[in-house]
Amino acid sequence: MKKVYAKEELCLNCHLCEVFCKTAHSLSKDVIKANKYEQPAPAARVKVYGDNKLSVAVNCRHCEEPKCVKACITGAMTKDKKTGIVSVNEEKCIGCMTCLAVCPFGCIQTGKFAVKCDLCRGEDEPACVKNCPNRALVYTDLGGAEV
Amino acid sequence: MKYIIIGASAAGLACAEQIRKEDAAGSITVMTGEHYLPYSRPTISYYLKGALKPSDMYLRKPSYYAANGIEILTDTPAREINRENKTVKAGRKSYAYDKLCICTGSKPFIPPMKHVEGKANAYTFLDFAGAKILKQKATPNTKAVIIGAGLIGMKAAEGLSKICQSVDVVELAPRILPSILDEASAKKVQKYIEEKGHIHFHLGDTVKEAKSKDKRITSLILNSGKELPCDMLVLAVGVRPETQLAEQAGIETDRGILTDPATMRTSDSDIYAAGDCTVSVDMLDGSKKILALYPNAVYQGTAAGSQMAGGNILVSGTYAVNAIDFYGLRICTCGLINAQGPQYTDKTAQHGDRYKRLIFENNRLVGFVLINAGENAGIYTSLIENRTDLAEIQTDIFDTPSLFMFEKAQRQKRLKGESV
Amino acid sequence: MAIDYIPRSFTIVRDKERCIDCGCCVRQCSNECHYFADDGKTVLADSQNCVACHRCVDLCPTHALRIEKYICDYRENANWTAQYQQEICRQADSGGTLLSAMGNPKPYPIYWDKILLNASQVTNPSIDPLREPMEIRTILGRKPERMTVEEKGKSTIKMPPQVVLETPIMFSAMSFGSISLNAQKSLAMAAKNLGTLFNTGEGGLHPDLEAYTDHAIVQVASGRFGVHKEYLNRSRYVEIKIGQGAKPGIGGHLPGEKVNVEVSNARMIPVGSDAISPAPHHDIYSIEDLRQLIWSIKQATDNTKPVCVKIAAVHNVAAIVSGCARAGADIIAIDGFRGGTGAAPTRIRDNVGIPIELALAAADQRLREEGIRSHVSLVAAGSFRCSADIVKAIALGADACYCASAPLIAMGCHMCRTCNTGKCNWGIATQRPELTKRLNPDIMHQRVENLITAWNHEIKEIMGGMGINSIDSLRGNRLMLRGIGLSEKELQILGIKHAGE
Repeated sequence: MKKVYAKEELCLNCHLCEVFCKTAHSLSKDVIKANKYEQPAPAARVKVYGDNKLSVAVNCRHCEEPKCVKACITGAMTKDKKTGIVSVNEEKCIGCMTCLAVCPFGCIQTGKFAVKCDLCRGEDEPACVKNCPNRALVYTDLGGAEV
Repeated sequence: MKYIIIGASAAGLACAEQIRKEDAAGSITVMTGEHYLPYSRPTISYYLKGALKPSDMYLRKPSYYAANGIEILTDTPAREINRENKTVKAGRKSYAYDKLCICTGSKPFIPPMKHVEGKANAYTFLDFAGAKILKQKATPNTKAVIIGAGLIGMKAAEGLSKICQSVDVVELAPRILPSILDEASAKKVQKYIEEKGHIHFHLGDTVKEAKSKDKRITSLILNSGKELPCDMLVLAVGVRPETQLAEQAGIETDRGILTDPATMRTSDSDIYAAGDCTVSVDMLDGSKKILALYPNAVYQGTAAGSQMAGGNILVSGTYAVNAIDFYGLRICTCGLINAQGPQYTDKTAQHGDRYKRLIFENNRLVGFVLINAGENAGIYTSLIENRTDLAEIQTDIFDTPSLFMFEKAQRQKRLKGESV
Repeated sequence: MAIDYIPRSFTIVRDKERCIDCGCCVRQCSNECHYFADDGKTVLADSQNCVACHRCVDLCPTHALRIEKYICDYRENANWTAQYQQEICRQADSGGTLLSAMGNPKPYPIYWDKILLNASQVTNPSIDPLREPMEIRTILGRKPERMTVEEKGKSTIKMPPQVVLETPIMFSAMSFGSISLNAQKSLAMAAKNLGTLFNTGEGGLHPDLEAYTDHAIVQVASGRFGVHKEYLNRSRYVEIKIGQGAKPGIGGHLPGEKVNVEVSNARMIPVGSDAISPAPHHDIYSIEDLRQLIWSIKQATDNTKPVCVKIAAVHNVAAIVSGCARAGADIIAIDGFRGGTGAAPTRIRDNVGIPIELALAAADQRLREEGIRSHVSLVAAGSFRCSADIVKAIALGADACYCASAPLIAMGCHMCRTCNTGKCNWGIATQRPELTKRLNPDIMHQRVENLITAWNHEIKEIMGGMGINSIDSLRGNRLMLRGIGLSEKELQILGIKHAGE
């Protein structure tokens, strides 16, 4: 499946992926409203770690055998059979964060619910990839090849 | 192939789903004594406190089972396993199996207390039915007393505190949540819960006897001599593996059902067991223990199902991992948090309402307790699971874990999402 | 606190209504103008070190930032301008030579802007480049004096090595060291895809550019950094750099802090050592000496590579060009005084040398007069800002043009002219890994290609308007040019008539 891959050697540590992820997952879809005014504040599903010297944006790997799905105690976390997208049903999620406790990549953020990348649900290109100024994020089907 | 699974909770459902993945043709029958299609047991407290609709408690949509050829028999408690005929008796009928999986879970453990047994207002809090009764009976004026400050007791207390003005918790141990918290963190959490939930704790104490009127408990006398008015008693002292069926059938048990730790096969080669009813081997110290935790039940159910259908999935290693919240306080724990022995050391970092305690065995992480500090806890978990030598870690282990803990090649692997 | 005698240059204006405190500007500004307040959340700015590179402006997701000129008036004085006063203060502080980057910014005449192009009307038809073939392929190299053929008509001439370009635009010398490897790689990739050449400058050839050697001009300069036989042979042609338009008569100095492992390997010098290119080549004190070096390079390359000599446009440029041609150069590049640099002494940059327009016209004229124009190809350099400048240069006699600043601007350069600080926020003129990674060659080579492709289109369009369908017909075709507002003398040197004539 197509996933978002991060190239740390090109990451600018600008955190714009986070800004635009928040915007894409906001009600207003407006960058200023989403990042400044909207309540509850939308959460970024991608997170940049590191500093200017070395940084990388981490988001869900949409694993083949997702530990988060197995560990989810409510059945809220599922992997879509067709698209392969691992996503949270916010109605069912109780925010216990067991998923976070088992994700070996650190791709789940704490919130009222488990907050994680949903690949912008079928958009041609997720917002983080579209708005990365240095193409440090690529949306591709790797099929085992190099990024 | 005929597969029968006794029990329709986490392990049972995982088992059935895995069988279906590997054997498209076999018939799969899941029997449960409960009235409901598979639902999430841990969510009953969220139902109780009104955070979750009943319809959101179900693990799958009702149409899912027919679509995947999984037959769920509700209200069908299994009564007997006949290993010679390879049948399971339930109700008046007898069901034949080629492969059987026992996922009977736990039963509440009720210590002997004077004048408590058989009283109309003494409840347990383990399943949906029990939660429904509590929700029905509890009113703002109810004086609720919970015996046991473990995970179930505390969750019941939290749920009830949203309904009732008076909630008391009695616990024999000197601290709350002994299975997931160490002494210092238990104190912190207790204080927080007392403030947020107005729950009164009676620690190091237990119920000596109950006073009652018309078969209803009216108050409880504690060992310390205290008397607590009570019109709803919740017994949450603990759970024990439900092994009755297995024992009757002559399957080896020792507190729980004994299985091969990787394949989950019992002493009978056609019978498997998974979930809370089994005895697990903790990969971190090799000890046999009951790890009644949801993720383990799923991993074990998946492995059992795979093995039953001729597949090759094994349980890779069992350890405790638990995440829970009380009034917004997030607690995440993993591994050996109460480890005793000279090989173990631990370090704690506290900052405001954040608490982080890491437990080490020599140069390896074997456990953690994180309170409001659970960011990327799964990376710690993976360090524990992979028995990573901490000398390889590039950052301070007490920093928020991230992929920068790993050297470049390892990090790149993880960035690509390769299993590690 | 010591008194700071020089007011700042710019003010960072933040629109607080739009700013979302995302901190992008904080993390992007290598001059540390933006910072978080003590609350760790609110973003503030201190304009003192702002160089107007616009990194923050261009990356701000809400367009909340604007840079404005900081105006702090001095008492008006046409002689003692603010700039001179500030430069004096800077030297009073430091006691050192003033350094500047990029080309001469002074308001000397820019002749491109005083030359107008012709177009066909009635008496000869113009050509639509979208419908008819339009040739801009350019071939550089020494051309034989005369044709000799055997009986059946087959040529018996052994052609000297030629360089075929698909556009008259090449990228001028910028060394790895002065610019980042990513920047150089972007240019190399663009050169390959465009069918033109990039120039290694005096920085040697980094192993990562192995795939682009067919599109590389390798330079031999006074420091001889990175020069060895393989280096010379891994090229399309070899350029001997005598001088540079931005700093004629001056050598180069790459500070030791920019000489990291990679740079040191490419230049064959120790890590951390200053790379000093002497002002002269110490083995070239005459045209005869130059001839020897040209001959040596031809020997080393088995006569397969044309050899180019690059000189700065100085007063007697025409005679020098003639000398170079006679010394055996196949290509001569003339770099005008507006040509860019990573660092040059300000006084040299702003006062030494002459405009490329005059130098080119004079050199072309001289070579024609001496009957040796076909011995060499002329490459003009020194600030081509648009395709019209290129067309005018070719009509003045250039075979091709070197461009550097324009492709740099395409890659993000904002002409903030602080290359010499090594803090280039766009990852161009820096070797700091945290900055060089900002320039992704996969993006930037495309932008450079787009730019040159656009210029190619425009060149064809202009040529079509003139009724010319091959760039060879434009070369040295000064009838296509007219001066505007120029003196008799200027027109005479440029070899063009005044508009209306």
